[in-house]
Amino acid sequence: MNILTIPLRNLRRKLARSLLTAVVFAVGVASVTALVELSKAVGESLESKLAAYGANILVSPKTETLSVGYGGMALGDVSVDIKYFKEDETLAAIAGIHHKDRLSAVAPKFVLLARVADTPVGVIGVDFEQERQIKSHWFTEAGTLSLDSFGLLAGSEAAARLGLAPGAVVPLEGRDFTVTGVLGPTGSEDDKLLFADLHALQAAAGKINRIHFVEVAALCAGCPIEEITAQIASSLPGADVKAMQQVVKSRMMTVDFVKHLAFAVSGVILLTACVMIGLSIFSSVNERKNEIGLLRALGFSKGSVFLLMHLEALLLGATAAVIGQAAGFAASGRLMALLDLGEQAAPTFDPLQFALVFVGVAALTSLASLPPALAASRIEPSQALVML
Amino acid sequence: MLVAKDIVKTFAGEAGNAPALRGVSLAVAAGEFVAVTGRSGSGKSTLLNILSSLLTPDAGQVLYDGRDLAAMSARERDKLRATDFSMVFQMHHLLPYLTAFENVLTPFLSSWRPVDAARKAFALECLERVGLADKAERLPGKLSGGEQQRVAIARALVTRPRALFADEPTGSLDGSTGRQIMDILSDLNKEGLTVVLVTHEPLYARMAGRLVEIADGRLAADNGTPAPAPSRTV
Ligand SMILES: Nc1ncnc2c1ncn2[C@@H]1O[C@H](COP(=O)(O)OP(=O)(O)OP(=O)(O)O)[C@@H](O)[C@H]1O
Ligand SMILES: [Mg+2]
Repeated sequence: MNILTIPLRNLRRKLARSLLTAVVFAVGVASVTALVELSKAVGESLESKLAAYGANILVSPKTETLSVGYGGMALGDVSVDIKYFKEDETLAAIAGIHHKDRLSAVAPKFVLLARVADTPVGVIGVDFEQERQIKSHWFTEAGTLSLDSFGLLAGSEAAARLGLAPGAVVPLEGRDFTVTGVLGPTGSEDDKLLFADLHALQAAAGKINRIHFVEVAALCAGCPIEEITAQIASSLPGADVKAMQQVVKSRMMTVDFVKHLAFAVSGVILLTACVMIGLSIFSSVNERKNEIGLLRALGFSKGSVFLLMHLEALLLGATAAVIGQAAGFAASGRLMALLDLGEQAAPTFDPLQFALVFVGVAALTSLASLPPALAASRIEPSQALVML
Repeated sequence: MLVAKDIVKTFAGEAGNAPALRGVSLAVAAGEFVAVTGRSGSGKSTLLNILSSLLTPDAGQVLYDGRDLAAMSARERDKLRATDFSMVFQMHHLLPYLTAFENVLTPFLSSWRPVDAARKAFALECLERVGLADKAERLPGKLSGGEQQRVAIARALVTRPRALFADEPTGSLDGSTGRQIMDILSDLNKEGLTVVLVTHEPLYARMAGRLVEIADGRLAADNGTPAPAPSRTV
C-alpha cells in the first residue's frame, strides 16, 4: 500500500467508467498510430504508384524545338533536328547523379518518323523494361504486352488506322518488324504511336547509340525535384532538363494531402480524447469532494491531493497508450492490406516510437488532468467535510 | 497544550458578513476532555476546525505548545494533522473502496513508500481497540453506522496523535451505538489522549471533564478547572 493504492482502487471501483474512458482514449491513440503508420506507408507507396503513371523529368538535347504534326498527330516537343544524345554517355551521366536512389525509372527514347501503308506514323524506340516503369497502365487489346527485337507494339488508334493486328509485318527502314501486341486506349499520345525495341530501331535506322530524349521518373518525397533536375543538368551540359511541374505538383499535392489529412484527423482525435480524460477527472473530483476534504484533514498536503488525481489520470493514460498503440498497429496492418498498398507497406514496430508515443500520451494526460487536479488540491477541507 | 486567543472568524457568506466567532478564548490542557455545546449555528464546528488547524481565523491566535499555527507554513500544518492532531466527524468519511483495515491506514497513503509492517500491526491494534479486529477485511458498506464510526476512530488513532477533535461523532447514531462511541472516547482520554468533543447531547457532554458552551460566536460558559498555568499565561 502506498500513494498508488487510492487511485488504483478508485479506478477499479469505477471499473466500467475507467474502462470506457481508457477505451475511448485508446481508440484515439490507436487511430493516431494507425494514421501515422498509414501515412508513412502511403507517402512512399502512393508516390511510387503515382510515378508509374508517367515521368516527371524530361531530358532532351538543347535545341530549338519544332512541333511536328503528322496526320493530326502531335509529336510534342520532339526535335526532328539532327540533334541526338549519345545513349551510353547520357544514361551513365543520369545514373551517376547524387540523388540516383530517388530515380525510379530512366526511359530513353529514339524517335523515327515513318510511313506505313502511305500513312505517316511515329515510331518510338524504347527500353521496354524502363518504359513499363512509367507506363504501368499499358495493357493489350490483342497479342502480348512484350517487346523483343523486331517486335512492335501498336497504339490503339495507330493500329486501327493502319489495320494492324498481332502477327502483322511492318517494314521500317528496310527491316521487317512484327506486331506482337495492340495496346488498349490510354487517352494519351501513346495511342497514335508505334513502339519498337530501342536498339533494334536504332540499328534499322543506322543510328546506333543515338537517342532523342529521356524521360525520368523521380521520387520527390525526400528531396525537391529542382535538386534532381539541377543534378542531371550539371552532369549533362548539353541537355535541356525540364521538370514537368504540373506532374510533380499534383503528385506531391496528393501525397501531402494524405499526410496532412492524417495529421489533422489525429490532432482532432487526440484533442477529443484529452478533453474526455480531463472531464472524467473533473467529475471524479466533484464526486469525491468529501473524500478529498477528509484526506486533507488527515494531513495530506495540497501537493499530495494534486498528485493523487494526477496519478489517476496517468494510470488511465498509460493503459490507453499501451492498448491504443497495439490496436493501432493491428488496425494499420489490416488497413494497408485492405487498401492494397503492396508488400513494402507494412507497419513497422519501433521501440523508440513506442516510447515516444507513451511519453507523449502521458504528457497529454498530465496536461488534461492539470485543471481538475488543481481544482482538487484547492478544495477547502473544512468546507468539503461540513457540507453534506 | 492548545491555546486560542480572541478568535474571530467571519465567513464571506450569503447573509451579509455575520461573524461565526466573535472573540473566543479557550485553553485546552494536555489530557483534558473538553465538551463544546451550543445551539445549531453557534460556531462550535468553526471553533473546532480552527483549533485543529483546518481553518485559519481572521483575527486572534492559536498556539500549540506555544507555537502560533498562523506562523506555520501550510505544509507544517498539514504535517501537524498527520502526526499530532486527529479528527473524527459526524459522518465517518471512510473511503468506500478500501477495507476497514485499509481505511485505518489511509493517513499513510500519501507517500510512495509502502506502509511498513509495524504500522500495519498497529492499525490492527487500533481496530482491536475499537472492537473491530474481526471485521478488518470488510468494506465500509458492509458495516453498521456504529462500526463505521469506530473504524473512523481507529483511523484517528493510527497516527498516535496527542489530541483528538471530534465533531458530533454520535450525531448520526442511535442512543446505544452513540454511547459505545462515547465510552471509547472516554477510555482513550483516560489513557492520556486530549479530546475536544462537539456534541448536542447533554448526557454525553457531562461525560467530559469540562463543559464549554458557545452562544452566538461567543464563549457563554466554561466550567473547566483552569488549565495548568503555563498555557494560560502564554
Ligand atoms: N463555510 C462556511 N461558509 C459560510 N458560512 C459558514 C461556513 N461554515 C459555517 N458557516 C456559518 O457560520 C456559523 C457557524 O457555523 P458552525 O458550523 O460553526 O455552527 P455549529 O455550531 O457547528 O452548528 P451545528 O450545530 O449545526 O453544526 C453558521 O451561521 C454557519 O452558517
Ligand atoms: Mg457543527
